[in-house]
Amino acid sequence: MSTLPTADRGELACPHCGDAVPEAGLFCCHGCELAYAMVQDAGLADYYARREVSAPRPVPLTGAWDAVTVRVRDDGQAEASLCVDGLRCSSCTWVVEHLLERTEGVSEARVSYATGRTRVVFDPATTSLHGLAERIAGLGYAPRPVDAPEGRDELLSRLGIAAFCTANLMLLSASLYVGWFDGMEVRFQTLFRWGSLALATPIALYAAAPFFQGAWQGLRARTIGMDVPIALAVAVLYGHGVAQTLRGAEGYLDSLGMLVTLLLVGRVLERRGRRAAAEASAAIASALPTSARRRTATGVEEVPASELSRGDVIEVGSGQELPADGRVLQGEGQVQMSLLTGESAPVAVGQGAEVVAGALLLDGSLIVTVDRGGDETVAMQMAEAVRDATTRPVPPDRIEAMAPWFTGVTVGLAGLAGLGWGLTAGLEAGLQVAVATLVVACPCALGLSGPLSMAAGLGAVARRGVLLRDGRQLLALGEVERLALDKTGTVTVGQPAVRGGSDEVVRLAAALERSSHHPVALALLAEARLRGLVVPLAHDVREVAGVGIEGVVEGRALRLRQGGPGAVVLEEGATSVGLIRLGDAPREDARAAVAMLQRAGLQLTLLSGDHTSVTEAIGGWVGVDEALGGLHPDDKAAWLQAHDAAFVGDGLNDGPALASARVGLSMHTGVTSSLLLADGVVTQPALRPVVAAIAGARATADALRSNTRRALLYNTVAIGAAMAGLVNPLVAAVLMPLSSAWIIAGALSVPRRMERLEASWTSS
Amino acid sequence: MDIVVILVPVAVGLGGVFAWLFVRAARSGQFDDLDDPPLRMLQDDE
Repeated sequence: MSTLPTADRGELACPHCGDAVPEAGLFCCHGCELAYAMVQDAGLADYYARREVSAPRPVPLTGAWDAVTVRVRDDGQAEASLCVDGLRCSSCTWVVEHLLERTEGVSEARVSYATGRTRVVFDPATTSLHGLAERIAGLGYAPRPVDAPEGRDELLSRLGIAAFCTANLMLLSASLYVGWFDGMEVRFQTLFRWGSLALATPIALYAAAPFFQGAWQGLRARTIGMDVPIALAVAVLYGHGVAQTLRGAEGYLDSLGMLVTLLLVGRVLERRGRRAAAEASAAIASALPTSARRRTATGVEEVPASELSRGDVIEVGSGQELPADGRVLQGEGQVQMSLLTGESAPVAVGQGAEVVAGALLLDGSLIVTVDRGGDETVAMQMAEAVRDATTRPVPPDRIEAMAPWFTGVTVGLAGLAGLGWGLTAGLEAGLQVAVATLVVACPCALGLSGPLSMAAGLGAVARRGVLLRDGRQLLALGEVERLALDKTGTVTVGQPAVRGGSDEVVRLAAALERSSHHPVALALLAEARLRGLVVPLAHDVREVAGVGIEGVVEGRALRLRQGGPGAVVLEEGATSVGLIRLGDAPREDARAAVAMLQRAGLQLTLLSGDHTSVTEAIGGWVGVDEALGGLHPDDKAAWLQAHDAAFVGDGLNDGPALASARVGLSMHTGVTSSLLLADGVVTQPALRPVVAAIAGARATADALRSNTRRALLYNTVAIGAAMAGLVNPLVAAVLMPLSSAWIIAGALSVPRRMERLEASWTSS
Repeated sequence: MDIVVILVPVAVGLGGVFAWLFVRAARSGQFDDLDDPPLRMLQDDE
């Protein structure tokens, strides 16, 4: 892919976009000429030498640029964010960044390689955001206004301070609690108590500030959100601590630190999840082309890709990406759909073939009738799904989201108990009970158990060779009852190997396939090398979609085509020269892994696009419950959706299946874009890691369940006892970290549980 | 045991220095973008 696409058949190619140049002239259109001049003027000519993909053709700027917030900084400079779509390689990013930087008035420009998010700092007197966006559009890339980024806030600093203070606070408190039982010199006691107060003060006043702000805003809007009870708890605990310290008594400020730190961890994780979701979908969107050439009654016009709709007819040239989903009306070519399927080997398409937005046309040219354009394309739907999936609250998030509610309920109960005791036994006793209730409650199970178990599970599974995207996939994997396996490349090695055929036939066939990257070609060439054959050169080689490959070798016009399942036939004219049998062996560990998965109670199904007979043969050999052959990628996807099954595929044309499976794992293929659709990757060329992943997932779910039980038990007993006045604040303060340790130990038991599960599946 | 009177504040103070460094790093945007710098490094001219 390092070669630049050039226009077909010796015509001049436009130096900017690589399209054919009409008649006399250097550029294909005025826009490209301007873009070229702009790049040269900025001294960035290097761009044309180093880029890997041609630039898109410039299209007029669209979007509501006046509505974008531009922040004016103290030094008079303006700062704004935008997103640039259509960045295809690092040089694209480079040229946009440098072009902006060399624009008069711009003092700083940063374009993110991963997402195209761009931050510019400029002098509002000299230039404007609209002007800068126009300049980017002039290059052919598509700037898009974005919501102002959540400004760099203090959340991380607050968490840092809270964590630091809490850790030290716990050390001091632990000493104080031990001192209560063992005796402690008064001067140390005084030092530690005042030290605790000193450490708790930044927590209450600085780290917990967002809760107070949230509570205040909520109260002003007359809605009581979750921040109100949290703020109340912080205020009561801190106020009580200050009063106690002044009186020379225990302050129990460590529970305040713990509470605030855990809640802040939750906030930081939540924000990171939101941001990752936004970026994942932006990454897909930015990989799509931004402009399209649409046929009109009079000719061809350049339109933004977002304006395409059903029924439009568009032209796509060599080296360009398809701007919309549709069907080929005319023409043929090779497309690479790595964005969607992970399949890097090109696929030949001809008239009537379905093509999707984001597919790269490697050669040839196509005229395509649009079926779905703009936001309706499969790629955009995928981007939408990614965004949805990552923002929708699901199990682990639900547990984390319970933490503030838990705090709210605890505060309510503490208030109730305090009130009751206050009315019957006096203010002092009421306060004592209320504080003991607040202190004894352990939000740890809710705040920490989820993420910790998840991290332990993900880590254990990763060590065994399966990398999962996040904890949600792990939980889902633990719940599935059906597992579908792709045949080629998953249960089998995936590389066809030559099983039989004469030297002469292999030699000639290899010659035809010499420049192809098709797996069959690789197998033939490998076989020729193995047999020590000298592969001759072939001329006029042409791949004919759906037929095979033909060309002239040693003066003979030969054709190589599929000859039934697992074989290719070499033909000269109408006569057959010979047959080459190809086979694909099951993976070494396939049988053992399948047996273990069945003992784990999973229903196993083999799904394949291959012939039913071949699929059933392989399925029978490895021992799956069911083998379905002759399936289209869409059939697989539909089957998976209907059966709510997890799926292991090899990322080669299993894109739709990976996306629609409950959990889609992609076998290691070295194609990073298949990760986009898969929920995880199996990093070893084996099936055993899948077994480990299932075990790890179930172990994690077990650990979570057992932790929830422990937390429920502890909190019911402890809060009940505290409300009944049976627990004094000191005992509560000792119990709280102990209960946390209990929960954490439960979370860390995941690897042990996983090993136990696996061991139970190995015994036969 | 008098040493505790000195050592505890020293330990907390030392930790405090790191907490301060962390806050400074967070405020100067060091944690804003963790994905880009490793890619940027691969560009020849930067």
